Amino acid sequence: MGLCNDIVRRRELLGMLIRRNLKIRYKNSALGFLWTLLAPLSLIAIYALFLGLMRFPVRLPMLVTGIFVWQYLAMCLGDSLHAIVGHGNLVKKAAFPRIILPLAMALANLTNFLLSLIVVGVYLAFAGASLPHLGWMPAVVLTHLALSVGVSLLLSSLNVFFRDLEHLLSVLTMAWFFATPVIYSLEEVAGRFGAGWMTAYFANPMAGIVTVYRHALVGAPLPGGTALALSFAVAWMVLVAGVVIFQRLQPRFAEHL
Amino acid sequence: MINEPCVITVESVSKRFRLRAPGGQTLKSAALDMLRAHRKREDLWALRDISFRVRAGETLGIIGANGAGKSTLLALLAGTMQPTTGRIQVRGTISSLLELGAGFHPDLTGRENVFLAGAIMGIPQRRMRERYAAIVDFAGLEGFMDQPVKHYSSGMYIRLGFAVAVEVDPDVLLIDEVLAVGDAAFQRKCLQRMGEFRRRGKTMLIISHDLAAIQAVSHRILFLDHGRIMGDGEPSEIIGQYEAFWRRQNSQDLRREWGTKDVVITRVEFMDQSGRPCERFDWGEAVTIRIHYEARRPVENPVFGFAVCDEQGRLVHGNNTQNEGVRLARIEGPGVVVLRLGSLDLARGGYLFSFSVHSWDHRVNYHRLDNHFPIAVDCDKPFEGCCYIPCEWAVPGLHPGGQEKGAGPCT
Repeated sequence: MGLCNDIVRRRELLGMLIRRNLKIRYKNSALGFLWTLLAPLSLIAIYALFLGLMRFPVRLPMLVTGIFVWQYLAMCLGDSLHAIVGHGNLVKKAAFPRIILPLAMALANLTNFLLSLIVVGVYLAFAGASLPHLGWMPAVVLTHLALSVGVSLLLSSLNVFFRDLEHLLSVLTMAWFFATPVIYSLEEVAGRFGAGWMTAYFANPMAGIVTVYRHALVGAPLPGGTALALSFAVAWMVLVAGVVIFQRLQPRFAEHL
Repeated sequence: MINEPCVITVESVSKRFRLRAPGGQTLKSAALDMLRAHRKREDLWALRDISFRVRAGETLGIIGANGAGKSTLLALLAGTMQPTTGRIQVRGTISSLLELGAGFHPDLTGRENVFLAGAIMGIPQRRMRERYAAIVDFAGLEGFMDQPVKHYSSGMYIRLGFAVAVEVDPDVLLIDEVLAVGDAAFQRKCLQRMGEFRRRGKTMLIISHDLAAIQAVSHRILFLDHGRIMGDGEPSEIIGQYEAFWRRQNSQDLRREWGTKDVVITRVEFMDQSGRPCERFDWGEAVTIRIHYEARRPVENPVFGFAVCDEQGRLVHGNNTQNEGVRLARIEGPGVVVLRLGSLDLARGGYLFSFSVHSWDHRVNYHRLDNHFPIAVDCDKPFEGCCYIPCEWAVPGLHPGGQEKGAGPCT
């Protein structure tokens, strides 16, 4: 709880770092935010084209939701490598709760993600989706955030000690991407596995998270309660593990940078 | 100041660094390490069992060679590193010039960076807004504050960093070797600000290699070597100790002993005018040196010589009994040769004496002790170079009344 107090006490720093991260990403340009849409939009275009050519069923609203939701996690995964290592000077020279650095990174990305969700919402409304179950949004966004922060804490602290994490991460990110229903939908998986396997599939927290976003925005069916509870529980457990490991490692950051 | 409360308490603090292979650890090397029975790990103790207290209003200077542990100590006090063992207590806010511009981001403007730096140090934004004008004024950067700091010169960068650190008005200010940055005018401004800080009863810890500057600003000096406290006390005393320490260290490197040992110089005593043993002399003082020898076999016409070198090993002066027309016909067994130096006209610093005994024709060196005997010379007479030549200035035609004889520097 001391940690929460520390963060609350240094909320001004957290706020400034979030604004700084956003400002640098947008580089003070009016088109800045639109640039951040470019990556997910091009991914959507590529997958839509590719899946179409391969004669897979393409349901654009499902794909758009999946890619944008995935993109938030992917941004955090990539940025977290530099959240501590990229601020070596600061960590070595100034005393402040180190957890603020990855937290500010994840929250700046969240701001970006929420803004892009508005764009997605507008698109979905035009595409005829009725945004049927928006009541789910707070819970799923919070869980999504918890997972992203947890993973960011793990990666940002481990990267201080193991600088070759980067190479491993790109492989793991790809595996995680395909283990998550981003470019395919749940029904396509459901038909091929038994019920037991489907529950195990939801041990991947992103499986549950993407599915709930699709339920909320496009009206896709929800999986069973057990599967969903498993996904969400794992996401929050990752957060706890991230905080514990980060706090264990952070006293030694300054001497390893 | 004795009655002031302690602001900083350091109790038997040690800090260990684990030295790793160059390039840092990787997952691969960690995995390989786990397979090996014996992990090869080297430890470096940057600080060992350090204890001291700093009272409110005190200015503590920290001196020591590179690698003595000075910066590690400040990092522990600033809280960026944790001690391996021991305890550190700091009361009040601490601002450190270690972080001169450390939190600055090149893409943000000067103004944004000032507020960010304040937030990093934990200063409320409200206070930063009050201080903002003073910060810009002190740094002398009006008109540049809305530019990204990547367009700043390194001097502007440091000035802004210093301005933020002193203007946030901390209780304790940590200063790591900043007396060496910026131009002369800015340095004067910094020293002035530090003096003001001191008068207002704030506490400062300063690291510098500039011994004269640190002696001038400190109430007390801490002398570190290889992570241990070698001295802690009154500035002039500790600086004298520090200089003597380095004289000994340096003379270790230049020391050499060789010869046939037919005659051995067994002991050399340095004495001041009153005949007391002494290693520290004032400028112009007379020195008596007693050279004890032992001739292990009878030796005809030996020559005793001496040389004075500065701390870098450059010869200042050398002479021997032969040059001065003193002849020792035959020596055997123990004996003493006395050397008197009329006046030690040397600049302030450390010097190394060498003594030798060799044959009349210089063919055989019986015993030579090169740079074995360090002494120190204190000199408040201003002149340049290492050796003073007595001089007298005269200006023909000028009325003698306004001129103090020989008072001008001889440069």
